[in-house]
Amino acid sequence: MDKLPNELKQPLVELLLSVADDKFILGHRNADWTGLAPILEEDIAFSSLSQDEISHAIAIYQIAAGLVGSTADKLAYARKPDEYLCAELVELSDEFNWAIAVCRNFFCDHHDYLRLGRLAHSSYVPLAQLAGRLVAEEQIHVQHVDMLLKRLGHGDTESRERMQSALDRLAPLATGLLEPTQGIELLEAKGVYPRIEPAMFERWTEDLRHVAEASELKLQLQAPRAEAIGGRRGRHSDAFASLLDELTEVYRLEPEAAW
Amino acid sequence: MVTQDDILNTLRTIDDPEMPISIVDLGLVEKIELQPSSPACMDVRVKILPTFVGCTALPMIENEIRRCVSALPGVTSVEVQSTYSPPWSVDRITPSGRESLRRYGVTVPEAGEENVGQPPSCPFCGSATVRQESAFGPTRCRMIWYCESCRHPFEHLKRLATTGLIDLSLQRLPETR
Repeated sequence: MDKLPNELKQPLVELLLSVADDKFILGHRNADWTGLAPILEEDIAFSSLSQDEISHAIAIYQIAAGLVGSTADKLAYARKPDEYLCAELVELSDEFNWAIAVCRNFFCDHHDYLRLGRLAHSSYVPLAQLAGRLVAEEQIHVQHVDMLLKRLGHGDTESRERMQSALDRLAPLATGLLEPTQGIELLEAKGVYPRIEPAMFERWTEDLRHVAEASELKLQLQAPRAEAIGGRRGRHSDAFASLLDELTEVYRLEPEAAW
Repeated sequence: MVTQDDILNTLRTIDDPEMPISIVDLGLVEKIELQPSSPACMDVRVKILPTFVGCTALPMIENEIRRCVSALPGVTSVEVQSTYSPPWSVDRITPSGRESLRRYGVTVPEAGEENVGQPPSCPFCGSATVRQESAFGPTRCRMIWYCESCRHPFEHLKRLATTGLIDLSLQRLPETR
């Protein structure tokens, strides 16, 4: 379909915002490493990853903006904190702990890859065309983070311990990525967000475990509880408000400015 | 009367803002459409394919297309549309485009699925003894490689997969009605 039936509009906008907000916030968090990453190659890599994520976010905001009569800039910068639908995992400050940064990207990139892969098969044509490009770019992220996990897992005792403790710390938060947005069943039923077999959680954990095992790391993930409510309903960590305050500071000075 | 060839020749004069290669050689131009607006004049629509999603060079390229094409006699209006279908790929870069990038120190993956994953040869000395330094580089579409023979770093364009990404053995796709 080229035109979206009315009843699918609101559910799709929520799904798109959850995808774009994850990317937008993760992109900002990763950009903190520009100039500070432990080696030059990773400095370049993280800067490039950030650019990718923020570019992806803009493209997805544009589709959402078209559906609600807004603009990508307004969606990115002019919503209230509880209108953002990102998962708590992307909000967290990594406190310049490299293991946390790498493991966060590990959870997020694998999840994003599957999510975009599903969207690439969407029955809503404009979205499928965009997602088909995004998933190809995201594949490079997945390959990169898998390489980092393996290298650090096989590094020395210290690097393995740091990675293990980062994985253990983030795992409970990571499942929040899978919290459904409202009305997602409708999108699945109409093929706008095609179902995946095996289902998302199984597929994602299988991918993650495969890489963790090859990295001599252990991974324990509990399936998300259906009643757990968090980022996808606009409920965020304390860190989020200050992050948002910081990243919208320039926009708020002159919202109508043309850049 | 302005023709498709006139437009195409004008587009050949527009270079990518970041590399010495015309947007035509880079394979960005997908389609040129002409609609008569009056007996002697045309409305022009140019369809282009972005390389990477949200590439920051794209708005500059769109502006250049509008500026150069609207300066042609017999052109009433110019519309530039970007589309992801078909997806842009390095395979669209012409042989002369590849050669001008090589002289600049940027290599392009060989065209064709059978060459996926093949390492480049050094753009400076031609050596095959090269290694990838980083999957990332100075722009989103490039990676950093290094030649062990002449000890020059060089850049290699990323090839994005166009097929077989998620084994859509997402098996049971729901019916779309």
